[in-house]
Amino acid sequence: MKSLQLFRIAELSQLLKNKSLPLSWGLLFALQASAQEKAFDEAEYRLSPLFGGPMNTIAGMTEWARDINHVYGVTTIVAVLVFLAVSIPLIITLYKFRVKEEDLTNLRPPKQIHGNALLEITWTIIPFILLLFIAVPTWQVIFKQPDEPPPGAMVVKVIGHQWWWEFQYPELGITTANELHLPAETPVFFVISSADVIHSFWIPQFGGKVDALPGTNVDNHLYYVTPALRNSDAVGGEVYQGQCVELCGLSHALMRFEAIVHKQDEFDRWAKTFNTAPVVASEPEKRGEMLFAQCQVCHTISGTASEDLEKQMLSMSPPVAKQGPNLTDFGNRRTLGAGTRKNTEENFIRWVKDPQSIKPGATMTPFDTLSDDELRSIAAYLRFSTAKKF
Amino acid sequence: MAKNLPRTGIISWLTTVDHKRIGIMYAVTALIFLLFGGTEAMLMRTQLIIPNNNFLSAGTFNGLVTLHGTTMIFLFVMPLSAAFFNYLTPLMIGAADVAFPRLNALSYWIFLFGGLLLNFSFVTGLLPDGGWFNYANLTGKQYSPSHAIDFWLLGVQVVGLASLIAAVNFFVTILNMRCKGMTLLKMPIFVWTTLVTQVLLILSLPVITVALFMMTFDRTFGTGFFDPGAGGQVIMWQHLFWIFGHPEVYILILPAMGMVSEILPTFSRKPLFGYSVMVYSSCAIGFLGFAVWAHHMFTTGLGPWAQALFSAATMLIAVPTGVKIFNWISTLWGGQLRFTTAMLFAVSFIAMFTMGGLSGIMHSSPPIDYQHQDSYFVVAHFHYVLYGGAVMALFGGIFYWFPKVTGYYLSETLGKIQFWLYMFGFNMTFFPMHFMGLEGMPRRIFTYASDQGWNFWNVLSSLGAYTTAIGGIVFFVNIFWSLKSGKKASHDCWDGRTLEWTLSSPPPEYNFAIDPEVRSLDDWWHQKYDGEGNKRTARVQPDVDPSTKHVPNPSFWPMVLAFGILVLASAPFFDAQGIPLALAGVVIMLVATYGWSFEEA
Amino acid sequence: MSAHEDVVHSTVTGVDNRKLSMWVLIASECFLFGSLIVNYLINRDRGLAGPTARQIYDIDITTLSTFDLLMSSVAMVLALHACQNRELQKFRFWTGMVVLGGVIFLGFQFYEFSHFVHLGLGLTTNVFGSSFYLLTGCHGAHVFLGVLWMSSILATSFVRGENWFPSLPLEVAGLYWHFVDVVWIIIFTVVYLFVYI
Repeated sequence: MKSLQLFRIAELSQLLKNKSLPLSWGLLFALQASAQEKAFDEAEYRLSPLFGGPMNTIAGMTEWARDINHVYGVTTIVAVLVFLAVSIPLIITLYKFRVKEEDLTNLRPPKQIHGNALLEITWTIIPFILLLFIAVPTWQVIFKQPDEPPPGAMVVKVIGHQWWWEFQYPELGITTANELHLPAETPVFFVISSADVIHSFWIPQFGGKVDALPGTNVDNHLYYVTPALRNSDAVGGEVYQGQCVELCGLSHALMRFEAIVHKQDEFDRWAKTFNTAPVVASEPEKRGEMLFAQCQVCHTISGTASEDLEKQMLSMSPPVAKQGPNLTDFGNRRTLGAGTRKNTEENFIRWVKDPQSIKPGATMTPFDTLSDDELRSIAAYLRFSTAKKF
Repeated sequence: MAKNLPRTGIISWLTTVDHKRIGIMYAVTALIFLLFGGTEAMLMRTQLIIPNNNFLSAGTFNGLVTLHGTTMIFLFVMPLSAAFFNYLTPLMIGAADVAFPRLNALSYWIFLFGGLLLNFSFVTGLLPDGGWFNYANLTGKQYSPSHAIDFWLLGVQVVGLASLIAAVNFFVTILNMRCKGMTLLKMPIFVWTTLVTQVLLILSLPVITVALFMMTFDRTFGTGFFDPGAGGQVIMWQHLFWIFGHPEVYILILPAMGMVSEILPTFSRKPLFGYSVMVYSSCAIGFLGFAVWAHHMFTTGLGPWAQALFSAATMLIAVPTGVKIFNWISTLWGGQLRFTTAMLFAVSFIAMFTMGGLSGIMHSSPPIDYQHQDSYFVVAHFHYVLYGGAVMALFGGIFYWFPKVTGYYLSETLGKIQFWLYMFGFNMTFFPMHFMGLEGMPRRIFTYASDQGWNFWNVLSSLGAYTTAIGGIVFFVNIFWSLKSGKKASHDCWDGRTLEWTLSSPPPEYNFAIDPEVRSLDDWWHQKYDGEGNKRTARVQPDVDPSTKHVPNPSFWPMVLAFGILVLASAPFFDAQGIPLALAGVVIMLVATYGWSFEEA
Repeated sequence: MSAHEDVVHSTVTGVDNRKLSMWVLIASECFLFGSLIVNYLINRDRGLAGPTARQIYDIDITTLSTFDLLMSSVAMVLALHACQNRELQKFRFWTGMVVLGGVIFLGFQFYEFSHFVHLGLGLTTNVFGSSFYLLTGCHGAHVFLGVLWMSSILATSFVRGENWFPSLPLEVAGLYWHFVDVVWIIIFTVVYLFVYI
């Protein structure tokens, strides 16, 4: 992926400065100054690649993504050829037949040619042939997606919510949010649906997107074999980014997630320990457990009273699902608020006090009556301190 | 009553039924809405110039996304095309007016009121925020409880009604009111693309009407057509919307293609290459346009067979489109090319539209669409088609026909400055969006993180947008300057080929003093030049005493009837209290209809 | 019904502008009702609560109202014939019969709707009900408009006196009326009869 980073912002900005064209940067800093808070990490901004970013569609990591890119490659070649076939004659024509306005009065009009059947038939037939080059690989790829999970594939249920992602592993009894853990080189069959409005599930480097629709019998599917690890010793997995790509309301832009690919044994360890109840030993942890009682109306942590409450709610008629994401193993997550902030204690406290300041329209109630101390206890209970981070 | 209405002053504009005046009103209104849509675009590009910006709030941004798309399509490109239909169709076919002059005025007033209703959302602060496609069920009462979405629903419904009425009118005008000798295959190509556009409107608008009614019922009366909780289906909206929405794309582009096909021959002094093939390809595009709607839905789980069929149908559209492009180039080949501003815009249309068309072919392939759908790549694609294509051609049309309409040329110097600002700014704005899309930037996001690789492209894109904005200002300056001190235009100011150039600039209210008769395609050209290209004397239309010519009487009723429709359409905003308002609207409509019926036309 | 109703402008196609525009409008209406019918067919069995189509339809009454609407189309033909032959009494009588047929049909529809509501199928009960009311209601609105149009012609006839024979406006109104009738035949088949297969 490094090789794809042809340019870097920093170099370009240098270039622009040398050419004394600071207009863009002047504007940037003016805007930045107008922002109420520090708009972005400047180092990150400068290092941001031009090509090969974390959401790029070109560096396909799965066979599915490479199949798509194969079609895209063929089509791009055809498109470039056609563009040349149009633009070169066009430019030649424009150059060759230009006439000065003042010469025009002395010129007799050119021969009035009304058409040429042979030529017109030719450029009707050629597109047909070119289109076949696109159509054949297209149809080959369309029919590659299976309807049912192939034998041996791991099933993952993906459920879109306003504005976060729920991931369920029915075979492993795991429910988590905004962080999709996958074992490397494993066939995975995603069953994609929505709890409220239409969302769209997309991990660009793994292949195309699939819409998450609300309603019964409208689940969509997606199947591929997860990529191999680029670095086989990677600890903590390799991270890929995903995002919702269907306008789903106010914070559509902040409905991100991460897919983390692990070595098989690391994934197994994660799956095995995921549902163990939090250790409640220290004083803050005990206090946090107590305070969490008011969170459990919406959130569940496996192996605690909140899980019993969830079971109770689901057995009611009609069943009531909890509104918020499952928080089991929360301290281990890399991000918070569906990929919008790093999952630090500081961000956690800000989130609980005023979630809407991070994510406009978030349905979570702001708990601004809790003191920082109390929030730190909850953080402790949520395993911030004892997080394994693999 | 109608006979005594004044023929000059403000009242005369409010009551006019003259197709030329209505055309001017359409154009002026469309250009004002362009300012709205353009400002919305600038605000969005400013928000996106840096990551994590808080120049706009999430809600405002989503509202601007929605209004920008809706305004540009329904309140700018469509009515500006309608302005040309209005002004030019009767002149090009040698008719005194359209088939139903008062109905024509009605279309304009309904359109204006619909546009105002949509934009009234700015006054209330409730911006519709469901996107220009307004996908259910996000736009249902449950997830959008305020009246914001209703502005979109009812605004578009009203504007759609205006288009439907106008479409019936123009269809009948073109078929029934051609002058002597003008058989279908002797009509100017712009009249042909207009005709195909009207057919598309007539057949596609009822589908969106039904969809809008269903959603209005969902939101106002509590039905559940698009609510999965009540047994409805969200995907149903998408089907209905795109059965309309895809023909709509050709409704936007076909008039532009027609204009380019008029401008290129004039400034190359050669007839359009392959006229009949151009006609057939327009019809083919229109026909195929109805068979491809589901290519907007490749990621919704249609199943492989539906995807294969819709992708094949979509790819087929490339064939008639490709034929057109090569025929335009052949029109230029061997000509005597004059690079007026109109010509520059028309030529740039060919290039920009080709690029948009080629990225369109990419998206006809579902696998590629899986990656590009709802990413900035699609934004790049349709702006190349609708902006680089339709809008560039419309500007070409404005520069070409402005002298006919006003009697003054637009300044060529300012025009060329605008053109280059547009070309440069447009490509700077939208070419980087291909890269943003390939880098995975989703559409309609109000913000993005700084580590995504989207930063540089967004800066470039925003600066390009500002450049086009400067071009837009130059254009408006040009209009005012030229109206005040522009060069005066003669009858046949560009050495044109079609009937409107036989008239004075501007044409008299009655259009043709002598009923024209044509013997061939480009009849006016053949009157001016013999087979060898030697100039011969050709007579332009004389001016006669207007009182000897019958022109339709002005009328208040179209505006009153349109107002009744506006009153009826505003009823849902008042919930249960809206019932008297709805009744009032119906009463106004009835009174206007009867007044209209018994008035002397 | 403008002042020029008897003047038939010569047109290129030979079809009067008003008549051609009605044909065009009918083409558009085909897509309108087509969308509504398809929507109905998709939603017919998707109601989650309330009565179903099979439980609620009363085929006898609907057959009667269909017959009534068909007869009003016959009256339309006779009215036009009389108008073209300048037979004032017949023209007024048959025009009145068209109006009456339309009003009776609307009466049937009013009865049907209130009966269905009584049986527990309101507009918002389920998507089947919503689609049904939207489709038949939209058709009813068209019939209502036709009734308004035809009664205006009838009233004008009394105002204008015995030398007023608006053949062309009546022909255009007839086109509309027959179309609305044809749509009902389709609705009757697709909505009421398809339940039994």
